[in-house]
Amino acid sequence: MSSRSGAGLELRQLGREVGGRCLLDRLDLQVAPGECVALLGPSGCGKSTTLRLVAGLDPASGGQVLLDGVDLSGRSPGERQVAMVFQSYALYPHLSVEGNLDLGLKVRGMARRERQRRIDATLELLQLGELRQRRPAQLSGGQRQRVALARALLRQPRIVLLDEPMSNLDAQLREDLRPELRRLLCGREQPVIYVTHDQQEAVGMADRIALLDAGRLQQVGSPRELYTNPANRFVAAFLGRPAINLLTIEPGRQLGLRPEHLRLGDDGALAARLLRREWWGHQQLLWFDSQWGTLRVLTAPEAPMPQEPRLGWQRQHELWFDTESGARLAA
Amino acid sequence: MKSRTVTLLLMLPALLLLAAVFLYPMLRYGWLSLQASSVLTGLVPVPNGGANWGRLLDDARFWTDAGQTLRFALCSVILELLGGLALALLLHRPLRGRGALRALTLLPWALPTTVMALGWRWILNDPHGPLNAAIHSLGGSSYGFLSTPATTWFFVVLADVWKTMPFVALLLLAGLQTIPADLEEALRLEGASRFQILRRLTLPLLVPYLTLALLFRLAQALGVFDLIQVLTGGGPAGSTESLALYAYLNAMRFLDFGYASTVMLATFLLLLVSLGGGWLLLRRHGLERTTERAA
Repeated sequence: MSSRSGAGLELRQLGREVGGRCLLDRLDLQVAPGECVALLGPSGCGKSTTLRLVAGLDPASGGQVLLDGVDLSGRSPGERQVAMVFQSYALYPHLSVEGNLDLGLKVRGMARRERQRRIDATLELLQLGELRQRRPAQLSGGQRQRVALARALLRQPRIVLLDEPMSNLDAQLREDLRPELRRLLCGREQPVIYVTHDQQEAVGMADRIALLDAGRLQQVGSPRELYTNPANRFVAAFLGRPAINLLTIEPGRQLGLRPEHLRLGDDGALAARLLRREWWGHQQLLWFDSQWGTLRVLTAPEAPMPQEPRLGWQRQHELWFDTESGARLAA
Repeated sequence: MKSRTVTLLLMLPALLLLAAVFLYPMLRYGWLSLQASSVLTGLVPVPNGGANWGRLLDDARFWTDAGQTLRFALCSVILELLGGLALALLLHRPLRGRGALRALTLLPWALPTTVMALGWRWILNDPHGPLNAAIHSLGGSSYGFLSTPATTWFFVVLADVWKTMPFVALLLLAGLQTIPADLEEALRLEGASRFQILRRLTLPLLVPYLTLALLFRLAQALGVFDLIQVLTGGGPAGSTESLALYAYLNAMRFLDFGYASTVMLATFLLLLVSLGGGWLLLRRHGLERTTERAA
């Protein structure tokens, strides 16, 4: 990560309000050149809103978008040199793959020969050469996604934005495409913002994750930081599957314990009764009932079940939250 | 094979109905066009060996009307498509009170043609109509808009465009709404101007809807009757007479059913040729795309 001040993309107090409803609340975020930041959160959290503000497709109601220290606020989408991959891919249905790539360059008035050269190079890079004459309707989901990506990379944008680019693909394909997407997008000069609601995808794609909820930034940091040191209950609960156990042990405070941090034995602090087993092959998920409610516990698939099971944990793994506000409390 | 039989059986009621209201009259016209059946024969059909068709070929009034009808149809349909497109693009934009505006736009189309034509006839009335009243108040003298061929023709086209533009606009608006918003946004990100978006994206995607509007309107305009009957009665001096009106006059005024049938059938054939030609021409450009997109 380059740390030259001002280089890359910077969102400063960026906000959007429509009809008195706040969609995005004064977001501060920096994306270094070549860095990929994932905007993660449930639907309606403001992540797509952020992307549209950076692209200039919607007007911001406050704040600035700076690229290498230059304010983009007054500029139209076309002037921002932003490439965007839409969730739907937004391929032009009446044009072939080649035509889809060509239209943007044509609109910019690029010479024919130069256009052809770039299109050929990009089609080569993404192994789309054989499909160049096909219309979008004749392509599979994965192929469409690659065409959309090709169209975005074609004109060497200064910012790359991806809006849930894989949500229309099946799980297997998503996993297969992730390394390719990383290879193509990240580690170039541009800052990349990757919007997703899928934490696996965010962890797999991004250098850092910015987690949003209800228009507010909850926490930003590396996946490991967010997982081990969540700023609040929302972050702790959103990241990690199976989800963290939240136990109300004393008034005003909640204890968070990750399923993999609970130890099954006959000497733990908490007596528990087995409710259900889910066998996952490499692990098993056990559901226990206890005096503090239901608990999820991850164990090895062959872990023996004691006669009178008890659950224990280490103090260092305890995460405490304020019951009311959800804020993280010191242990 | 079996499913084909079922298909045919299921379509049979509709086919029978079509045959009753369309095929039978056509065959009847065909038969009547080979008969003399007028006041002279006491309205009894007497075979006259194709004399009606010979008369048609020499009938200058028929060919003049054919030219007038074609000219009317082309002018009004082209203007309707252009105006309808502009209107649809306007109504597609997010405007305050868009719903009310859309409803209001449809008003001329919802009005019965006869009522609308009567309205125009009064507006253009010489010397009492509102248009002449306006000219009077500006110090001019009244003008016979419906007694000069050129102005009459202009107002006939104008009335037709005014009435049917909303229909075209509605059809094209439906087409515009099938275009996902992110296509336009993707092109905006490429730096396309509004005109480039219209030309490179919106219009190509609207072609199927434009074709549909064109064929619908062409068929109606080539058969125009009620507007002209009420607004001008075909005048002045037959300058706005359409083929449908001429056929009607032959049947209802001259009581020459044999020749009226001949004119009717010839009109139908002309219509078929124009529509078929138009369709073939457009299919090459547009319709294959529609089917492809649907697939």
